[in-house]
Amino acid sequence: MLNEAKEVCPTTTLRMSREGALLVDVRERDEIDNLAFDVPDLLVMPMSEFERRCAELPRDRDLVMVCRVGERSLKATYFLMYLGYTRVANMEGGITKWARKGFPIKGNVSTAIASAATGCCGGATPAKSIGGKSTFAAGENCCAAQPKRAGGCC
Amino acid sequence: MDIKVLGTGCANCRATIALIEQVAQAKGVAVNLQKVEELRAIMSYGVMSTPGVVIDGKVVHAGGVPGRDKIEQWLVAKQG
Repeated sequence: MLNEAKEVCPTTTLRMSREGALLVDVRERDEIDNLAFDVPDLLVMPMSEFERRCAELPRDRDLVMVCRVGERSLKATYFLMYLGYTRVANMEGGITKWARKGFPIKGNVSTAIASAATGCCGGATPAKSIGGKSTFAAGENCCAAQPKRAGGCC
Repeated sequence: MDIKVLGTGCANCRATIALIEQVAQAKGVAVNLQKVEELRAIMSYGVMSTPGVVIDGKVVHAGGVPGRDKIEQWLVAKQG
């Protein structure tokens, strides 16, 4: 039996990304066209291509697997662990939670809003767009209510 | 013979279990059939597409409901 996958929250993921981790988005391309992570180093590898292409992923670098709510990416994380990858983690909550925390995204904000209604916090209240940048009303959802700690998790 | 059906409880997984039960009964083969539904346990077999079928620890099938003839072959081969 595989060990439990390492799970990280969006805050930790953002920090890891800034420190050189590679984000691997396993959503399908039409989903990504609507809403995408806005980070400098991200690889798109949809689940429909994952088994065929996963050998492209480096073993000597931290990988954070991401998707919409963190379920498909968890599966991908376990598959990489099965293949012997050790520097791999799953981002829980997916882009839904990432967007709700006001982290950088590109694309259609309403997609994130729709996703939030079925996301882990179910019905969180995403709010506003300021100068084209999407953000969410702090304190209006269960995740935002948690204190942000360096590397912490909500 | 230990048979595990890997899957998170979808209709195809249930159909696979039912079909294996039917074929085993028809062939008079005693099988110990188990469902494996936890993602970590499923992924421990390296199966990305479910349902997966594991016979005596070996993955013999992944993705889609296996055909009746395929199941018959597994059971006959194992009976030897």
